[in-house]
Amino acid sequence: MSVYKHEYRAYSGTVTPAWTRVLVVARYGFAEAWSSKITIGLLIVCLVPPLVALFGIYLANNPLARALIGNAGPRTMGVDANFFFGVLQVQSWFAVVLASWIAPRLITFDLADNALPILLSHPISRFGYILGKYLVLFGMLSVVTWVPGLLLFAYQTYSSAQPWAMSHLQIAGGFFVGAALWIALLSILGLALSSLVKWRGVATGIIFAGVFVPAGIGAIVSGVLRTKWGFLLNLPFMMSLLWQRLLGAKGVFVSQVSLNNEAIVIMLVLVCLLCAAILNKRIRAREVVRG
Amino acid sequence: MSIIELNGLEVRLGNRLVLDGLTGELRGCSIGLLGPNGAGKSTLINTLLGFHPSSKGTASVFGLDTYRDRAQIRRQIGYMPENDSFIGNMSGVHFVRYMAELAGLPSRQALEHAHEALFYVGLGEVRYRKVNSYSLGMKQLIKLAQALAHGPKLLILDEPTNGLDPIARQRMIQLINEIRKEGSVHLLISSHLLRDIDETCDEVLILKRGRIAELCNIEAERRSNRSFMELETVGTTEKFSSSVRELGCECASFAGGRIKLVIPDHIEVRDLYVVAAQQGVQIRRMNQRRDSLEDIFLRAMDTESDRPPHVGV
Repeated sequence: MSVYKHEYRAYSGTVTPAWTRVLVVARYGFAEAWSSKITIGLLIVCLVPPLVALFGIYLANNPLARALIGNAGPRTMGVDANFFFGVLQVQSWFAVVLASWIAPRLITFDLADNALPILLSHPISRFGYILGKYLVLFGMLSVVTWVPGLLLFAYQTYSSAQPWAMSHLQIAGGFFVGAALWIALLSILGLALSSLVKWRGVATGIIFAGVFVPAGIGAIVSGVLRTKWGFLLNLPFMMSLLWQRLLGAKGVFVSQVSLNNEAIVIMLVLVCLLCAAILNKRIRAREVVRG
Repeated sequence: MSIIELNGLEVRLGNRLVLDGLTGELRGCSIGLLGPNGAGKSTLINTLLGFHPSSKGTASVFGLDTYRDRAQIRRQIGYMPENDSFIGNMSGVHFVRYMAELAGLPSRQALEHAHEALFYVGLGEVRYRKVNSYSLGMKQLIKLAQALAHGPKLLILDEPTNGLDPIARQRMIQLINEIRKEGSVHLLISSHLLRDIDETCDEVLILKRGRIAELCNIEAERRSNRSFMELETVGTTEKFSSSVRELGCECASFAGGRIKLVIPDHIEVRDLYVVAAQQGVQIRRMNQRRDSLEDIFLRAMDTESDRPPHVGV
């Protein structure tokens, strides 16, 4: 029987468990993110560097291929911590671009249409709603950061002539943890900054500003006060230091300034708490109809 | 069992006392929520939805505490907010399905019920159009559809006829009355328009400055006052008056053949015509005055301070 011939009847079947509502928000968030062709285009662009790196690994492990392109030397490049550090750095910037495109789609549409009073009048909490959106962004950024990184690691393990993986496990662990930290931070930063405005374009700009403006202010503070602590406002710089240490890469990212791990972690936690506070305030302010 | 129970409910937003010691039980099938701007109607609705904790006292819906058990309550409530509130980038059916899934329906059933709810409210033909392309009336209807899709026990409608043209308003009132007659859903309707409440509700809660100014059953209120009648007659008015008194009516005669009557329950209007015919009196004008909701509202606005601390219907 066709649906249009049905009469309205109240639903009386079983309901899904409460925790799955977060996944409902995430599922619809994914659909929203993927509904844009620009998202697809950006994802394809983001996967170009890993493909180049894949080709590099192939060349590094295949003398015949190297000979064919005219390089008969023992190795064109070393696939080591420095190689993966470079991949992580490139992908982290692509992650910033992707986050600045996707995060506003997840939050600002809801804010612009004043959807929160209706969404949150259903049995889902403010935390559940934000968590659902967060999962979308984290998942999308994973596709361009640690997932291709670990696939490259797996391919290097497979194609290396001598046992390689066991002696380089720190690279895999460091890549995963480093990338996860960055995209976790980027996701909450993207959502928090997107919640500040109703316009998607402005939100994208604010996310870029949120990464670069504090870095500039930090550089000014460091320069004027002759202190290294201004670099704590420079998220990309801090993350690079952290990645270098996590991957065990040496000599690639040389800086006169060194910040200890504790300071970096405390700063990252503070940024996350600030973002969580912004999100809570913004969502709370808009979850009810004021009258 | 009461649908909504308020027990000394006090809600503060910041330092401002918005709801001040509301006490009462609402049991009606369709409850109207009236009050001037700033009376606390929206705050009461938000409190019932679990958005605001009470600073003193309690509020419960179906016996569940509105703040502590808000997830359970929200499962049983369908809420249609006053302002535009939707996801404009989604198609109508996609939006209603999303809301139904959030309410706890499995994906397949959510889709089925989304289609049904959209057909029910009259948006079947436009359900694949994006919501932001809908007219104002359609947007009101899709808010109603999403509130209905998961089969709530209590439907909270905040200004359901807001911004609607007369035809769309009539359609909305008709839908609300259909839902009311269907009987499985209780309604709480907040509106500035007394006429809307009059046409759709059997019980009314009137708020004034965060307090309950009146809580009454509209029908009972009308019944208690409906016997008041004014007549204009031509003929032997005195004789007619005494005959009417013999029927059991209280009667007062005035100059120009005007008569005021208070008719007991067992006397019908038809009886008056019979007596008039017997006495050879013409009834030129008959004004049966009933207490309208407007009277109840205006009286509540005047006498709010005189009412007892606890009210129940």
